[in-house]
Amino acid sequence: MPSAIETEDLHKQYGDVHALKGVSLEVDEGEFFGLLGPNGAGKTTFINILVGLVAKSSGHAEVFGYDVEDDYQMARDAIGLAPQEFNVDRFFPIREVLVHKAGYHGVPKEVAVERADRVLKEVGIYDKRDTRFHFLSGGMKRRFMLARAMVTDPDLLILDEPTAGVDVQLRHDLWQLIERLNSEGTTILLTTHYIEEAEQLCDRVAIVDQGEVVEVETPDELMSRGSDTIYVTLRDPPETPPELEDDVLDAGMRDGDLVVRAEHGGRSLPGVVRSLDRAGHEILDVEIRRTTLEEVFVEVTDSLGDEALDDVREGFEEGAP
Amino acid sequence: MNIGGASASIPFTTGFRTLMRREILRYIRRPRNTFMPPLITNVLYFSVFGVILGERVGTVLGVEYILFLLPGLVVLGAISNSFENSSFSIFHGRWNEYIHATVTSPLSYTEMVLAYVLSSALRGVIIGVLIALVGAVFIRPVPVEHPVYLVAFMAVITTLFAALGVIGGLWARDFDYLTVMNQFILRPLVFFGGVFYSIRELPRTWELVSLLNPMVYMVNGVRYGFLGPEAVDVGPNVALVVLTTATVVVVAFDIYLFHRGYGLTE
Ligand SMILES: Nc1ncnc2c1ncn2[C@@H]1O[C@H](COP(=O)(O)OP(=O)(O)O)[C@@H](O)[C@H]1O
Ligand SMILES: [Mg+2]
Repeated sequence: MPSAIETEDLHKQYGDVHALKGVSLEVDEGEFFGLLGPNGAGKTTFINILVGLVAKSSGHAEVFGYDVEDDYQMARDAIGLAPQEFNVDRFFPIREVLVHKAGYHGVPKEVAVERADRVLKEVGIYDKRDTRFHFLSGGMKRRFMLARAMVTDPDLLILDEPTAGVDVQLRHDLWQLIERLNSEGTTILLTTHYIEEAEQLCDRVAIVDQGEVVEVETPDELMSRGSDTIYVTLRDPPETPPELEDDVLDAGMRDGDLVVRAEHGGRSLPGVVRSLDRAGHEILDVEIRRTTLEEVFVEVTDSLGDEALDDVREGFEEGAP
Repeated sequence: MNIGGASASIPFTTGFRTLMRREILRYIRRPRNTFMPPLITNVLYFSVFGVILGERVGTVLGVEYILFLLPGLVVLGAISNSFENSSFSIFHGRWNEYIHATVTSPLSYTEMVLAYVLSSALRGVIIGVLIALVGAVFIRPVPVEHPVYLVAFMAVITTLFAALGVIGGLWARDFDYLTVMNQFILRPLVFFGGVFYSIRELPRTWELVSLLNPMVYMVNGVRYGFLGPEAVDVGPNVALVVLTTATVVVVAFDIYLFHRGYGLTE
C-alpha cells in the first residue's frame, strides 16, 4: 500500500525566495499528520504543490502513489482541500457550489445533491444553503471551507490553517469533526501554527521552518525532548539553592522560589523534597510545569540564529489561540 | 475516492458536464448583464443604420442595406460575446481565486479548456440568434440561403473567439486588460472587417489591406450563409478551412497553457 503522501527532496523557488529547501516527507494512510511552523515556513507551498497550484522547482511528490504532475487527475481525485484563503465561487449559492465541486470529481448530480446537504448539516450551516458565500459570517465561511473539502469524500483531507482566526467554540467543533473523519479512515494533513492544535490532534508532527523539515515526531516524543521545571516555594528562601540529588539538570533561585529543571519532573520531585527536608527547609508549595510544544519548537529551531527565532516567536504570538 | 474521476480522460465525463453546466448557468442566470446589453445595442444599430441610414444608402451588392448589415451585426455580437465570456469567466475566477477549486479538481486539462470554450461559444451563438431575431423584427423575412454554411461559420467563429478569450483571461492581470482587448483590438478589427460596408466599395489599396483582416472572412462567411453568393466579397470555402484550422490551433494552445499552468499556478 503506497503512502498517502510521499515527497522527496522537494524544492520550490519563487524568484529569489527559496520557499522549500528539499522537503522529504512520508505520511501514512489513515494518519493524522501535522505541519507545524511559523508564517512563511513553506506549509502552504508544500500543500499547493500536491494539488497543482504551485509548480515544484525540483524533487518528487506522490499522493497515494500517483505523481502529482504525471498522474495529476488521480492524485487530485483523492484530495479534499480546505485552503487557508477563502476561494469560493461568487456566482452561486453555497449548496450549488458544493454540487459543482462534487460533480468535478465525477459524482453524478443526484448523489452530489445528497452529499452537499449532508456535509452542510455536518458543519452546521444547512439553513444557509441558498445563501452565497460572500454573505456568510466569518465562522460560517470557515465551516463552509471544510464542507467543500469533505463533499468529494476524499481519502486525503488537507486543511491549511483551518482554525485561523476562529473562536474557541468553532475551533472545537471543527476539531471534533476532523477527528471523526480521521477515525473513519480519512488521512488528514493539517497545517497550523497553533501548538495546541498539533499537540491535541496529530499522530505525528513535522516541524517546518524556513522551507526545511526540522523534525518529524509524535507530540509525545517532542514533549519528552524538553525538560520539566519544578517550582518550590520555601518559607525562608536561602540566597543560593541548597544541595540537591544529581538527577536534576540545574537549579537556581528566582523571585524567592527554588526553580529546578529536570528531565522528568515527577520522577525527580521526591528526591528534591528529601534534600530540602534534610537541609531543614519548610516547603509551602510545589508546582511542576511540563514543557510546552512551543518551548520545544523554539529549542529545536534554536540553531537557526536570532533573526529566524524572532520570526518564529512572532508567528506564535500572532497565532496565539 | 470516486470512480468518475478515474475515467476522466474519456470526453463528456460527469466532471466535464458539470463544468459546462456551471459555466452556462453563470450567464443564463444573469440575463440583464449578459443578454440585455447586446439586444439593446442591436435594436439601436438596426434602427439607426438600417432604417434611418438605410433609406439613403439604398442597396449594397444588390441587397437592401439593412439586410446587408444583419450578418455583420450577428458576427460582431457573437464573437465579442464569446470572447468576453471566456476571458471574463477565467479572469474573474483567477482574480477571486475560486478557479483554484476547479483547476485542482480531477478534470483533465483538455476537459477544462473544452468546457470553458464550448460554453462561451454557445453564448456567442445564442447572442447571434437573438440579434437575427431582432433583425427579423425590422426585416421580414430574414433569408437563410445556405443554412449549413451559416451553422458552420457561426460554430467556428464563436469557438475561435471563445478560445482566444481563454488566452486573454489567463494573460490578464487586471480588469483593464479585458476592456483593452475588447475595445482596442476586437472592435476595430470587426468595424473594418466589412460589417457596415462592402470592401469592394473601398479604394483598391484599402480593399487589399482589408483582405489581411481575418474578420472580413468571418463576416463574409456568415453573410454567405444568410444571403448567398451575390452578397459577398470573397468565397466561403477557403475561409472556412482556414478558420477551422485556426480554431483547432488556438484550442490546442489553450490546452498547452493549462498544462503549463500559465496564469493559474505559481
Ligand atoms: N507566490 C509567491 N511568490 C513569491 N513568494 C512567495 C509566494 N508564495 C509564498 N511565497 C514565499 O514563500 C515562503 C513560504 O510561504 P508559504 O508557503 O505561504 O508559508 P506558510 O504557509 O508556512 O506561511 C514565504 O517566504 C513566502 O513569502
Ligand atoms: Mg500558509
